[in-house]
Parts: sequence; C-alpha cells; structure tokens
Amino acid sequence: MKLETKKNNTKIFTLKNLTILFIIVYFGIFLVYPIYKAFAGSMHDWNPLIDQYDFVGLDNFKYVLSNPLFWKSMNNTIFFSFLSVFFRIVLGLGLALLLEAKITKFKSSFRGMFYMPTITPLVAVSFVWMWLYNPQFGLINKVFGLDINWLKDAQYALPAIIIMTIWKDFGYATVIYLAGLMGLPQDVYEAASIDGASKMQTFKNITWPLLKPTTLFIIITSLISYFQAYIQILIMTEGGPGTSTYVISYLIFDEAFVDYNFGVASAMSILLFGIIGILTLLMFKVTSERGSTK
Amino acid sequence: MSKITKGLLSIASILSLAACSNTTGEAEELVQDDNPDKGLETFGETIQYDPNKLVNEGEPISIEYWTWGETDPINKLAESYEEIYPNVDIEVSIQPWDDFWTKLPLSLKGEDGPALFNIHNSQHDNIFPYLAPYDIPVEDLQADFESVDSHVIDGEVYYTDYLINSGNIYYNKTLWEEAGLSEDDIPQTWDEFTEVAKQLTKYDEDGNIIQAGYNFNGDISAIYEGLNYQKEELLFNEDGTANFDNSTTKENFEYLTNLYEKEKVGSKDFGDDSSMSFGNAQTAMVYKWGWFLGELNNNYSDIDFGVFATPTPTEEVPFAYDRYNGESTPGVNKNQSEEQQAVAQDFLKYILAGEEYSVEGALSLASFPSKKSLVDNPDVLENPVLKALSPRVDRLIWPGPFPATVETTATQVMEDILYNGKDIDQALSDGQEQMDKDMENAEFNSLQSSYKFFDELN
Repeated sequence: MKLETKKNNTKIFTLKNLTILFIIVYFGIFLVYPIYKAFAGSMHDWNPLIDQYDFVGLDNFKYVLSNPLFWKSMNNTIFFSFLSVFFRIVLGLGLALLLEAKITKFKSSFRGMFYMPTITPLVAVSFVWMWLYNPQFGLINKVFGLDINWLKDAQYALPAIIIMTIWKDFGYATVIYLAGLMGLPQDVYEAASIDGASKMQTFKNITWPLLKPTTLFIIITSLISYFQAYIQILIMTEGGPGTSTYVISYLIFDEAFVDYNFGVASAMSILLFGIIGILTLLMFKVTSERGSTK
Repeated sequence: MSKITKGLLSIASILSLAACSNTTGEAEELVQDDNPDKGLETFGETIQYDPNKLVNEGEPISIEYWTWGETDPINKLAESYEEIYPNVDIEVSIQPWDDFWTKLPLSLKGEDGPALFNIHNSQHDNIFPYLAPYDIPVEDLQADFESVDSHVIDGEVYYTDYLINSGNIYYNKTLWEEAGLSEDDIPQTWDEFTEVAKQLTKYDEDGNIIQAGYNFNGDISAIYEGLNYQKEELLFNEDGTANFDNSTTKENFEYLTNLYEKEKVGSKDFGDDSSMSFGNAQTAMVYKWGWFLGELNNNYSDIDFGVFATPTPTEEVPFAYDRYNGESTPGVNKNQSEEQQAVAQDFLKYILAGEEYSVEGALSLASFPSKKSLVDNPDVLENPVLKALSPRVDRLIWPGPFPATVETTATQVMEDILYNGKDIDQALSDGQEQMDKDMENAEFNSLQSSYKFFDELN
C-alpha cells in the first residue's frame, strides 16, 4: 500500500516537474529570448536574411527619435488606443448593465451576438468594413446619405478604423463586465435599496467602485493590445492616405518586414515596450492611490 | 509518462505537417538512366543545349524549385525535362509572395534550401549572397538576350531578365465607341490624351462623375517615373541618391492632379481601385503594367478592351518612353550540393537555349521576351499588350533594383497632395528627405547609365 502511494507521488512529482519544465522552456524560447534579441538587435544594423549584424550603439535610437514619422505614428497610436479603450469601456459596461437588468429578455442570445465580432478574424472584418466604407457602393454612405471617402480622407481615415475596432472589440468588455457584475455582493445592493438609493446613486457609489478591478483589467489589456494593433491598418489603409494612419506597430512591421531594417524595428519595439510598461505602472499607481484615499 | 510522450509527439507531427508548403506533382519514382542517346536534336542559337547525355551520371536525383507564381512557365518545362531524363525529379514548390521573401533567404542559409528558385530583382540584396554564377558564358547570354549587360557582376551573371515588363494604357472599346471615338483617335501626346479622357467622362445631373475617362486610384504613383524619364529627368543622381524633389516631378504630379481637379476626367473619390473600376466598365482608361492583362482575362472576361502605347509629351521620340522592370531567370543556390547545382545549371541551360520558356512567360505575364530570336514571333505579337510594347522595347530604361522607399514614398507624397491637400512643394521636399533618410545605408548603384540611349541626355 505504502509502496503504491510512493509510486503515485513520484508520478505526480514527475508530471509536475515536466509541466513546469515545459512552461519554462516555452517562455524561454518564445518570450525571454525574443525580448533579449530585440534589446540586443536594437543596437545593431541587423538584417537576418543576409546575416548582417553590425554593432552601431545607439544609432538606431537616434534615427528613430529624429524621424518625424515615428512621432506621427506615436501620436496616432495614442489617439487610436485611448479612443478605442474609452468607447470599449463605455459600450461594454453599458451593454453589460442592460444585459444584467431584470427586464431584459433573450440575454443569452444577446450575449452571443455581442461577442460574435470579437471571435471573428480581424482580417475578414477589415475587408468587410472596407466595403462598407467604399465611397462608391459602401453601405455606410448609402444608409446615412453621406458622401465621404472614409479611408482616403485624412480627416476620417483613422476615426473610421477606430469605429471598426470598437465594433469588433466591445463584446469582450461586455462579457468581462458581465462576469464582474455577477460577482458583486447582493447584500450591499439590498442595503442601498433599504436606504432609498436611486439607480444612479447605486451605480455611482456601489457598482462603479466595485467594478474598478474589472475596469483596470480591461484598460490595461486593451491598451497593450491597441498599442500593438496594425492588422486593420495594413489591410484597410496601408498607413495612408499619405502617412496619416501610420501607427507605431505598423511602422515597426514596415521597417522589419518590408525594408528588413530589423535593428531600427527593434529600437522602436524597445521604445514601445517602455511606453506600455510606464502606462501600466501609472495605471496601477493611479488606481491604488484612489483606492487608498477612499 | 508514455501518454505524455505520445501527446508531445502528436503535437510535433501536427506542427510539422502544418509547416509544409504547397508542392505540385506527386512524389515520383525515379529510375536509373542508362541511355545517353535521347534521339533529340541539339537546339538553341548561341546558347546551345544537347539533350543526348546523362544527367547526374544517370543516378536518380531530386531537386527543388521555389516559385510564387502558379503561371510560372518553369512548372511546365520541369515536366518536359523530367520526360527526357527519367532519373531527375524537379519538385516545384509554390509559396505565397508575402512569405516568399522571408522563407527563401532563411532556407538558403542552410544546406537543404532549394537548388533553384524564382527571383524578383527588388530582392537582389537579400538573395545575392546565396547565388551561384551561371555556368553559361556571359558572351553567349549577351548574344541571345537583351539587357544582360546590366546583370553582369564581376564578370559573372547570376540571373538576368528573360521578360521586359512596362506600362501601357488599357481602354474599354465599348465606352470608346459610345463616345464616338475610333482607332484614329488613339492619342499620341498627353494633350491629346486629356482631350480623349474628357470625351470619355460622364456626369450625373449634379455634376458627379458616373464614368471616369481616366482613373489612377489605388495605383497613384505608378506612372510618374515614366513621365519623368520621358522628360529626361532621371530617377537617381550619379551618387545613387534619389532625384525626387525637382521641377519635372512637380510638373508631372501637377498634370496628374489637374486631370482630376481641373479637367474632371476622374476623381480621387471615384472608388479606391482603378483596376476594379475598369473591370466594372466604370472607367474608360487606365495605365497598368502587363499583370493587368491576366487580371482582366481572369476576373473581368466580359470587358472588351484594347491596349495602346503610353502617350508622350510631344510627337518626337522621347529620351525613354517609360521605365521597365525585368522578370528574372531563376537563381542557383550556391549552398546546395555539387550534384544538385550541376542539375540546376543543366536545367537552366535547357530553358534558356529553347524558346518555350520565354514565349510561355511572355504570354502568361504579358511581358516582352528579351530573347532576341523572338522579336518577330507571331504568337508574341498577337498579344495586345506585347504588340503595343514591341516598337518601344529599345527605348525603355531600367534604373536597377532600387530600394522600395522610392515607390512607397512617392505614393505617400502623391496621396498627401491629392487626398490631404498638402502643398506640393512641401510634399516633394518631405518626400525627398524621407527617401534620403531611408537610402542612407542602402548600397544602391543606379544602372541608368547602362541605358542604350543614355548619351542623348542633355
């Protein structure tokens, strides 16, 4: 009996070690090594296709920081990310509250419907929206009686991509908020109801503060993903008209896989890495400070 | 434990299967070839190929050929070569264009890369380190093919042009007749072109365009390089830097924007794809390169279209009619084994000595063959695009495999002017700055000076 238990324990121990080893190797190969390589590559004139790897110190960073297109792309990225995150939160929370409301029927169907764009491939969605935005036969101009060349007008191109991105992604926030709402303690709501709190007061003083960790989670994950967004740009505008829809990840893609300047692309990636890191830390700091003052 | 191992092995085999690319043909059973007498005649002009021999001493051998094109004529020629030499298998692997230029160099680094591969000269810098020189003497290549001179590197040829591709004007014959135009109205100069384009444009009651006379949306800067060359303005300076911000570029960009804004023969808002617009009979004329013929035949077979040569500033013969780019002959992998390279070199000689490779390629890619013996080939001249190109082939200039920024930045500049309303002088100046920055470390030497009529330049 003892021998069997010992044998079982050894099996579990081996499986545990093997799993941990697998995870370590996986992250080592696909996370730690690429990050190290990007750091090292950012200081080299690097084209892996012809084994070019010459040390250039901080030249790539100097080139990037003096390139007006980098700053333009950075501005566009910030505009794109913050606007998309804002509407993702507003729409996601609004719809989650509606779905959670007692009077709403067909909750499961709506939940599925709202989540559907999120699981649809971005490439397919981008193509469909390109057709919707087409100035000749696009549905959007026809339905709203507009005459806008959405993707070829610098004034509208980036907002048009943002609208598409919000449409595609709000379902994610809805589902996360729904999970958050379901986990809120009911006794607090009962107490508020006994005290005669209105719906608005309940939302402002109970729901919203209690959903803070959920909101923070959505903001951080969304910001990280939007700072790295480029597929919709690549398909819908290729950064145009001119360079008006260049975002930082599209510029990195362009440098690496069109011009094969992996050194410059790595320098941009490191800067982006730093910016995302700072934003995340700031977000944590702001939230924890507000939490402690209450 | 054994279950885990099995599981990991299953994942590994699924991943390895997923990594496979599309290879045509089935694995062939190769046989020993003991018969050097194939009963076939030696063929070719200067480059001659004698099939009566053994390849790889008759021992079975399989080599790989990588291409991005379904219509690559080598797909067909590999089969005819295999018929002559039953001990040889040329496995054609078709990779999508987007992956081709990252997969190929990485594969060529090792010893198992393809022995032969399709080349696009825009990727010269990334491919050149892996190329073996052709076994065919340079003077033989020069005797049989045009434009070999610009491909000689240190006395060797690693690939050359077997087709010459350039632009023409495609026009919709039905819309042409509806406007009361005949073959005699085909414009020779840009002024005449503007007038014809006006006649071909239709508007609705509110003055909106419902049929464009000329449309360049989605292909906005393709034509400016040719227009500059027509006016003796080179794309590159002697030191290899871009010559973009100049009065000729300005003049030509203004001409193009005026076609839309002043002459109203098209509009930046009239769809975003001139190819599709032409295919749907909403546009009467477009400037496109040879690939467009295949696009029309495959996707818009109902359109009755014709092709005429790109107009010129005056009726005088210009310095050059347009820029051309070559479709390249295959490259041989210098990292492959000697046996594989030897078969690859023999296959190269086989395709370059014959005419089928050039004729098939010319017809499928609507590009003019650079093989001198095909200048008057009736099959080639029957093709409408090649018929239009034929009298001008000599006066097309190749600037060399220049960095991508020259085209991408020019497109951005033109979009900035047309769509973003940017001042033309500022846009050109910014474009020049961007090109200079991008080309700072590029080792690019323009081949403009090897153009046959370069001395005519004032």
